[in-house]
Amino acid sequence: MPPSICLRRLSLAPSDLTAHAMASRSLLAYTQTTSFSHSASLSAKPGQGKPAGPARGERTLNLGKNKKVQRDMGKRPAPGERKALRKRVVLSNTNALVVEGLNDLTVSNIETGDMQGQVVGLSEPVIDQLRAVEAFKATQGWYLFRRPAMLMRKETAQLSALMGDVEAQKKTVRRILVGDRASGKSTLLLQGLAMAFMRKWVVINFPDAKDIVSAHTEYAPLPGSNPLQYTQNAYTANLLAQIAKANSAVLSTIVPSTDLRLPIPTTRKTTLADLAVLGSKNPELSWPIFNALWTELTQPGRPPIILAVDGLAHIMTPSAYLSAEAKPIHAHDLVVVRHFIDHLSGKSVLPNGGMVLAATSGSNQPASPALKFSVQLAEARAQGATDLPMWNPYELVDQRVMEVLTDVDTLKLHGLDKQDSRTIMEYYAASGMLRKQVDEPLVSHWWTLAGNGNIGELEKGSVKMRA
Amino acid sequence: MPPRLNLLTVPRTIVYRPKVAASSLRNGVLTRTSPLCRNYSDSPGADRSKDPSTQPLGGVTEEAATTADITGSKGPELEQGTPVEEIVKDDKEAQEKLPKVMQDSIKSSGPKGSRSFSTSAIRRDFHTEGLIQAEMPPPLATMPPGVKFGLPTLPVPADAHLKYRYDPAVKLFTNLIMEHGKLSVAQRNMALILTHLRTSPPPNISPLRPLLPGSPPPSHLPLNPTLYLTLAIDSIAPLLRIRSQKGAAGGGVALQIPVPLGLRQRRRIAVEWILAAATKRKNRGSGKGGFALRLAEEIISVVEGKSSVWDKRGMIHKQGVAARANLKLGIRR
Repeated sequence: MPPSICLRRLSLAPSDLTAHAMASRSLLAYTQTTSFSHSASLSAKPGQGKPAGPARGERTLNLGKNKKVQRDMGKRPAPGERKALRKRVVLSNTNALVVEGLNDLTVSNIETGDMQGQVVGLSEPVIDQLRAVEAFKATQGWYLFRRPAMLMRKETAQLSALMGDVEAQKKTVRRILVGDRASGKSTLLLQGLAMAFMRKWVVINFPDAKDIVSAHTEYAPLPGSNPLQYTQNAYTANLLAQIAKANSAVLSTIVPSTDLRLPIPTTRKTTLADLAVLGSKNPELSWPIFNALWTELTQPGRPPIILAVDGLAHIMTPSAYLSAEAKPIHAHDLVVVRHFIDHLSGKSVLPNGGMVLAATSGSNQPASPALKFSVQLAEARAQGATDLPMWNPYELVDQRVMEVLTDVDTLKLHGLDKQDSRTIMEYYAASGMLRKQVDEPLVSHWWTLAGNGNIGELEKGSVKMRA
Repeated sequence: MPPRLNLLTVPRTIVYRPKVAASSLRNGVLTRTSPLCRNYSDSPGADRSKDPSTQPLGGVTEEAATTADITGSKGPELEQGTPVEEIVKDDKEAQEKLPKVMQDSIKSSGPKGSRSFSTSAIRRDFHTEGLIQAEMPPPLATMPPGVKFGLPTLPVPADAHLKYRYDPAVKLFTNLIMEHGKLSVAQRNMALILTHLRTSPPPNISPLRPLLPGSPPPSHLPLNPTLYLTLAIDSIAPLLRIRSQKGAAGGGVALQIPVPLGLRQRRRIAVEWILAAATKRKNRGSGKGGFALRLAEEIISVVEGKSSVWDKRGMIHKQGVAARANLKLGIRR
């Protein structure tokens, strides 16, 4: 199979060569090859031989017996248009009924825990922030209801309590969100992000880990790194744009206190929000600017930070990028991933306190036996088991992943209890999406069919009308 | 003191059930009475009990009040109601037809000491202790062991059967969009269609293409996508098909004969027309749900009266009217 990326991406522009004097020898060798093509030089010249047929949309004489129906030859969709339609996130259904008495989530009712076991809505500014960090997924059922609302479940309360601890003790909490498929891991992550936004934390979210490692964005070796690491300028620039947009309220109040030493002129009035915007506009500087931003955010007196990723398994395997030797690059050798992993593993701490959340995915995850084993180990440890599971020594293991996840705790999502199921089903009914009387037999019926209250299955069964 | 011999006491326990309507007892088997044609309005969502046509006519007093209201005079008092005695006071003919009790009471306008009817009340509960109301759910204490939610109420609803748990129109549609026997894919597409119906804005119904009479207002449709779909199908379902009988016209010419269709046949043809029209539509997005999206858009355009399916239906009906001369409905010998 040919590599999915073009090896020419590895070549550096001659202007970069001077700047990257420390680049390794193999990379310098690659810069000598200016171009490379698979196509044979002996291929026929265009315009010779049989004509390639009429242009699209042109009428031709067809005397054949089986005349084909002329297909619609209208304007084709623009590049990216169809994908945008597919990936569109709709957060409102104007046909759905307005639910009376639906309260918004606020800082005060998060802290008092009044909303535990209730469905709460999200306020407009928080929705905009969550949209900016792409926390809403197209596969989630937001498009059915009048406005985004969610159940405050037990796990949410746990997360909220952890956030309170972080603020009180300035500690770093690291958790992997695990649970069955459709048990609400991504939604819990979203709830965590929403609560962090309301608590005026700085939110840095990697919406889908697959996007980092799928080799759809450009990459380049980081000069002077040993072992060799790779930057992803386009991805980092996009990340900075998201950070700037979502956290503008917090970041625009902070002025850098250290000498940033950036290769781009900044004024005294440049806030961190401006800095992030600057990084998003100059992709070639995005990684140095991200580093500068991080340095500033970890200075004393700055707000807590939440780092979150969805689809953890993707960054626990070799990525789809290739090195100069045409070997797969391990995901941990990408600087963006490296940065996250260092905080998840506890190698780096957040001095002002904060949270590192990594959600696994039940439906889209590459096989990562080391991650699976580490999660099992963490769960056994949390239960206080005496005989912890052991890795089979005769099987190969991704040692880097094992080391990274040695002492990370998990936050396991269980199914809802009957009371919570009833609450969420009453919300469905009040929105007009469930046309049944919500009583004990109905709740019990769907709770059982949903695998003891798995919330995704509950929604799928009672609302989504699969018939 | 109660009488010693009580004729009204039941000697043994009798299970009391209201009598089943005679029409539902067919061949001695209790069958669920269903109308010949199951329309959308039969669905539980459509409640027509509030229609003025279903309300009972007013009594004499209401009629008199309405007449008085029209003529402008003062009618009888509606709040308290008019006693019958007052109505028949001046009407000798009506008085003769009154029950004897009332005739007596009119004649004797004062207490006489003896009545022609009994005034003693019988305590019914004392005598009906043997009767068990089968319709009432038994109290919790007497629930049979192992039953958590009570016994099911009879008759069992139509969708309680495993194989008939989906709406019949939806099931028919799902089966017709199925390809290569992949029911699960068809069901996913069906779910996408219903989702599109419930999230798209309410249809603008064209007065030129009337839907089935008694259809709910368009604003109600998105919240009940099953009804939306059924309404679209039933509104364009043709009443008949044209059968060509070879040689019946003489000289090797086929004779066009209109044949009436049953409900399922009508729906099937309607769905096939919708599928054909949706196939010709242009695909907009990419990915799996493209055809489902086109189908959903076609259903909306059917309800809005924009679809070409309406022309098809009109053509068939026109042919049917023209070909009805070919029907031979005479007495067979």
